Amino acid sequence: MANAQAIITRPAVVRHRAFTAERLRFGYSLLAPAVVYMAVLVGVPFFFSLYLALSDASVGGTTANYVGLSNFVAVLQDGTIQQALRNTIVFTVVAGIFKGVLGTLLAFLLIQEVRGKKLIRSLVVIPWTLPVAISALAWKWMYDPQFSAINYVGTRLHLIQGWPNWLGDSFLAPVAVISVNVWRGFPFAAIVLMAGMSAVPLELLDAGKVDGANFFLRYRYIVIPVIAPILLVGLLFDTVFTLSDISIVYLLTLGGPMGATEILPTKALEIGIQAGALGRGASISLLLFPILLPVVYVLLRNLRRRETL
Amino acid sequence: MTAVRGHALPLQRVGLMEAGARRAKARSLRRHLLVYLGLVPFIAIAVFPVVWMGITAFKTDADLVNPTVFPFWFHQHPTWEHFTYLFQHTYYGDWIGNTMLIAACVSLITLLVGVPGGYALARVGLPGSENMGIGIFLGYLIPPILLFIPLSRVVALTHIIDTKWALVLVYPTFTIPYCTWLLSGFFKTVPPEIEEAARVDGCGRLGALIKTVLPVSVAGILTAVIFAFTLTMQDFLYSLVFVSVSDQKPVPLGVATDLIRGDVYYWGSLMAGALLVGIPVAILYVFFLDQFISGITSAAVK
Repeated sequence: MANAQAIITRPAVVRHRAFTAERLRFGYSLLAPAVVYMAVLVGVPFFFSLYLALSDASVGGTTANYVGLSNFVAVLQDGTIQQALRNTIVFTVVAGIFKGVLGTLLAFLLIQEVRGKKLIRSLVVIPWTLPVAISALAWKWMYDPQFSAINYVGTRLHLIQGWPNWLGDSFLAPVAVISVNVWRGFPFAAIVLMAGMSAVPLELLDAGKVDGANFFLRYRYIVIPVIAPILLVGLLFDTVFTLSDISIVYLLTLGGPMGATEILPTKALEIGIQAGALGRGASISLLLFPILLPVVYVLLRNLRRRETL
Repeated sequence: MTAVRGHALPLQRVGLMEAGARRAKARSLRRHLLVYLGLVPFIAIAVFPVVWMGITAFKTDADLVNPTVFPFWFHQHPTWEHFTYLFQHTYYGDWIGNTMLIAACVSLITLLVGVPGGYALARVGLPGSENMGIGIFLGYLIPPILLFIPLSRVVALTHIIDTKWALVLVYPTFTIPYCTWLLSGFFKTVPPEIEEAARVDGCGRLGALIKTVLPVSVAGILTAVIFAFTLTMQDFLYSLVFVSVSDQKPVPLGVATDLIRGDVYYWGSLMAGALLVGIPVAILYVFFLDQFISGITSAAVK
């Protein structure tokens, strides 16, 4: 009996296996180009940068010797790089807070049903859509020491005293750089939040109303728990690009005055490419890695959660 | 309100309803005003730099540096001279050509790699495909700043350093992850029955993909092209490091590095050059905003 059954089902099993093998071959060969492209141009360079960071490779030199962690030691002992690291963290955190607050405010205004909503949304997202190098140039012109449009408006509205030189002052330059980053990023935070708010189930809000929850309670216990993870994802995404963005600082101040706006990316470019010290430069870039790692981890965990839902 | 209370005459009830409608209207007007009032500063801050760019681009140099007049309007006739200068005396025309060519090639590579990849992730049901998808997306989260130094050596080994082709090679590293992810989302929404029907009719797997899934995914593919294009325009670092020859530069790099003579900024032509590429990119983004956001936030929204 059992024997007979085995005979009957065997061809089906074989056919099923062939089907899966063929399907697997098909699937993997479709996926292969993407995996190979990313492995060759992201994976390999990443490990190559680890190798460079442990060597004394330079643009002119023909050989690279293993030097252990001495690049990292030298980099971490360098006062200007310590300042760049500090600035990178401060800029990212301060800009992130402002983007979160302004973005939340804007999102609450944008979800109101008012006439011209679509047009208003299109206007408000302009900063985020412009190529970043082009925005940086527009702001450099607005910060111009002689013809600053900001000073013109600010002094006439009595918001600004005198005629500050935004990019030449070691206190104002970081403010100027952070402002451009916030200007560019707050619409993104707002739009991400709007997408999140539209995901708040209306039945929940109604249920809250029926149960006698007032406006603030409804927000505290229903809306915020739903949108907080979305704002987090949006801000983390933004953090990855803020940490690694070079164009605003490069075009506005080149790290000056006196290193007040120096960040790790500008330092890595200066030492790794312009001075040709590849190993040293790679180690400066890699200082960003431990900061990026938790951010990337949280983002990927979110992706996985979507996949399993 | 108290005046009409207690009366049940139909005529007065109509009056009551009218009063209610008026009140509702007044309330709606007040709400509109409050919301607009809140939005005004945001709009002003968002738009002002762009408006100022526009005014600057059309002002004559003499008007631009005249400190005695209101700067945000024209005191001499608006001029095209900054635009004609760009095309006649700089490589601006080449930069536009380069940007177009780079964007077209990057889009093509992205599609050739991203369409099969996205389809495999969405449909084939490979074991471990979830991890591979996450692995590909990880490439999007490893920012250029970690890769530009080693990539500069990789590019230096080839003959394409200092040409636009270096950028054609490296830009897909950030367009492929994003667009593969986006496309896989699109493919998931195509009903599998269409494909199965084609297979019953004798199509192979690849044939079914090309003949049935691709035609209904045109919108998704178009979106992927738009993003390949706009993400390409957002880059600054790679072009700065890999391309230093003037006539090979893409527009954002060319405008930012080549229009400054010595230490002098010629703001009129700078802003003209910036505006001419900035506006089309901004318009494209605005049109495809919803798709872009859903691509990024679907992780959390779903």
